[in-house]
Amino acid sequence: MTYLMFFLGVCFAVGVLGVASNPSPYYGVVGLVLASVAGCGWLLGLGVSFVALVLFMVYLGGMLVVFVYSVALAAEPFPGAWGDWRVIGCAVAFVAIVFGGLVFGGFMGAWKFGVSTVNNVGVFVVRSDFSGVSMFYSHGAGMFLVAGWGLLLTLFVVLELVRGLSRGAIRAV
Amino acid sequence: MNPYATSIMTFSLILGTTITISSNHWVLAWTGLEINTLAIIPLIAKSHHPRAVEAATKYFLTQAAASALVLFSSMTNAWVTGQWDITQMNHPTSCLLLTAAIAIKLGLVPFHFWFPEVLQGSPLMTALLLSTLMKFPPLTLLLLTSKSLDPALLTAMALASTALGGWMGLNQTQTRKILAFSSISHLGWIAIILVYSPKLALLTFYLYTIMTSAVFLALNKIKALNLSMIMTSWTKTPVLNATLMLVLLSLAGLPPLTGFMPKWLIIQELTKQEMTPAAMAIAMLSLLSLFFYLRLAYHSTITLPPNSSNHMKQWYTSKTPSTPTAVLASLSILLLPLSPMMHAIV
Repeated sequence: MTYLMFFLGVCFAVGVLGVASNPSPYYGVVGLVLASVAGCGWLLGLGVSFVALVLFMVYLGGMLVVFVYSVALAAEPFPGAWGDWRVIGCAVAFVAIVFGGLVFGGFMGAWKFGVSTVNNVGVFVVRSDFSGVSMFYSHGAGMFLVAGWGLLLTLFVVLELVRGLSRGAIRAV
Repeated sequence: MNPYATSIMTFSLILGTTITISSNHWVLAWTGLEINTLAIIPLIAKSHHPRAVEAATKYFLTQAAASALVLFSSMTNAWVTGQWDITQMNHPTSCLLLTAAIAIKLGLVPFHFWFPEVLQGSPLMTALLLSTLMKFPPLTLLLLTSKSLDPALLTAMALASTALGGWMGLNQTQTRKILAFSSISHLGWIAIILVYSPKLALLTFYLYTIMTSAVFLALNKIKALNLSMIMTSWTKTPVLNATLMLVLLSLAGLPPLTGFMPKWLIIQELTKQEMTPAAMAIAMLSLLSLFFYLRLAYHSTITLPPNSSNHMKQWYTSKTPSTPTAVLASLSILLLPLSPMMHAIV
């Protein structure tokens, strides 16, 4: 189990490095998919399956789909693919930095953090992820409103920035 | 900008600032910071000029990375200590991460590179918001955690900020960039006293806000975006230019103006804490910024600018009186005799 969690962590790191080392969104999104799948698997290993499912649906099924649709509209004649020297160079550099960080962290005692689950055991079982979401609707109503306003604000900000007919930030539209 | 959009952004700025300042849970503090970041992006990119859009992009990237670091530091602290209280930030790694994150948010050296360019790309009023209101929530977080922070790191960043704010401002002709570097050096003064006397840091921030608001509002009235525009503006608003000179000298920290109060009290507190070399260093590094404040003050009151002799002077355009500028300028010039009271009530 420990090895599985470690492997998922490595997959996550590799996915994120893949995103960072590729300047073309078409190929970088593969790294995002790998990273989110690995993150999902990590959450499953911790026991919070509901949050893992929410991550899958919202991130992969919502955000990434919208991202792919928007990127499909942006044409690029020669995107940098996985075999390009720039991509390989960036990937090697990032892997070297991460490896150096791990080795240095090992000396500084950063390897002492552990992994534990968030389920209770015994007679009274409360699933932390479900009950956390339900708490959002009861005692956490204020935070719910604030979070909802934050998301609505994101929409308004993006709409204001990409207003068409040269009134937005993108003047070509 | 559309009035509905402007009102939404303004409301979100106020909401985000209030949420962060009044929170005692890290997640709520982070939410307020993110709401602030989002709300000011369209205000920076309002003119849709490529420089403004680039400034908005740079602001968003740096602030989002810093917010992620704030969240990361609070999560590691919660993992180790089991609680999310802002004032109980005890784990050293979390404090280090938080200091770095807030330094990025504020624009302390070595994370200051975004600040002049973002200020240059935004309109003057948005630059005012960026220099004053947007610094308030991160500074509140530093004040709440001040007793757990590392003094050596803060002192190093403070001295470097004052030095680089002074040095890099010397070659600037654009007023917004000059004010960006002035902001960086004042943040250096705030950071150096934060661990020893958070109240003094807050007082410095309040007085800096008053003085820099007066400067920005005055520059907005004369629409002065670079030094040559300041030089030829005295014909439009002679009294405002004279007041601007005094406010700039107050920003420089010259007695008997208000700006001397924070510097004096900080040097006194640092000396009491056996940090006399640091006090000496920061006082002498402020002399660098004194040069460009003096140059700005001279340009605002020069009556024979080096133009050709037959250049058209802009004369007495119709001016509506502006109460905030007057009030803030008066406060920036005349508050020094109230020093004992200010030190006691902040």
